[in-house]
Amino acid sequence: MATLSDIKRRITSIRSTQKITSAMKMVSAAKLRRAQDAIESARPYAQRMRETLEEVGSAEANHPLFEQREEKNHVEVVVITSDRGLAGAYNSQVIKATQLLVKSRRSESSKVSLTIVGKKASDYFKGPRGIDVSSSRPVGPKVTYLEAKRVAAGLIARFESGEVDEVVVVHNEFLSMMTQPVKIVPLLPFVPPQENPGEGGKKEDRAPYEVEPNAEKLLSALVPKAVEVELFRALLENQAGEHAARMTAMENATKNTEELIEKLTLEYNRARQAAITSELVEIITGAQAQE
Amino acid sequence: MPLDLIVVTPQGEAFSEVVEQVVLPGTEGEFGVLENHEKFLTALKPGPVEIKLPDGTTEWAAISDGFAEVTASQVVVLVDECFKAHEIDLEHAQHTRAEAEQELAQLHENLETEEARAQVEATLVRATAMIEVHGRHHS
Repeated sequence: MATLSDIKRRITSIRSTQKITSAMKMVSAAKLRRAQDAIESARPYAQRMRETLEEVGSAEANHPLFEQREEKNHVEVVVITSDRGLAGAYNSQVIKATQLLVKSRRSESSKVSLTIVGKKASDYFKGPRGIDVSSSRPVGPKVTYLEAKRVAAGLIARFESGEVDEVVVVHNEFLSMMTQPVKIVPLLPFVPPQENPGEGGKKEDRAPYEVEPNAEKLLSALVPKAVEVELFRALLENQAGEHAARMTAMENATKNTEELIEKLTLEYNRARQAAITSELVEIITGAQAQE
Repeated sequence: MPLDLIVVTPQGEAFSEVVEQVVLPGTEGEFGVLENHEKFLTALKPGPVEIKLPDGTTEWAAISDGFAEVTASQVVVLVDECFKAHEIDLEHAQHTRAEAEQELAQLHENLETEEARAQVEATLVRATAMIEVHGRHHS
């Protein structure tokens, strides 16, 4: 049986762990709020971009990034994870989904490679996993549009040159505090948004826009932006999901430490009582022996 | 009928006010928009935006490349970034421009650095637009 001081030491150590986990929970809660605000702020831009794209897309429907290639020789998978761990199954579920995806795509495509955002995935795929990594970068402390733009520019260039025939993004979606399901979304070839058939009648009444310089040129500037926005959204979702997952994980951890402390305190009290009882027994037997 | 100017960036709405007139840097040249303008859509290049407010004052802002959607009563500007003149840190912008110029001078005609070159050039254009806007704001 553990001695009194042993138990005491364990209780102190668990208490300090508890302090860390509850502090981490609090930090994640604050960061989550900020991440949610960022998603909220990005929404109007994405919405307007979509509308503009619909507008221009109805006049001009040809763009190199729309091209559906029949033979998909090279599939690029964009994996988005967080930089840090301690977020429950958050990163491992993305990594697992990526591995499954790569496996299934390998049967139809001769080459599958990864573009990684997030240290967790880069650490994992750095090892001998038999999957090519074409580029990897950390998420950084804050998701910026510029970063999304850079990643998108690389992917677009490789798609246009014909090196890559399809781009798919794997990331966590932020649905709620408790659920962050893995989402697999095709990025390229880009599928132009379809006009809502319900509004079709209304649309015809509206006067068409004068487009300058011309629809084709405008579209070629719009489509890469739409790809950037899509990627930016994925990064933001990932950021929010990370904090939500970590918050939940840390809350559970804090609860567990509480349970442990309770159990150990009980054990400690029992051990102390046992020590007192045995001492008393000794004293009483000593006194009886002297009579 | 008043004219609403709405500038939207991925970081949120940067500007949303009733204005008298706005001058935007289109890819085909600068253009001014007054109310009751014909509906049109155009691409924008990075540069200064001149905003004339109903009270007669003029505000300046620097934008990156993007799009403008003009209707009779509304101008919607979609850009990556938008800085209002008073938000611009001149020293920082000048520093960034000097740095970008230097970097550009070092990057010679090398195919591998094409991507890096495009990035540096974008930074340069941005910084230049910011400096210009700052200058006009204070003149």
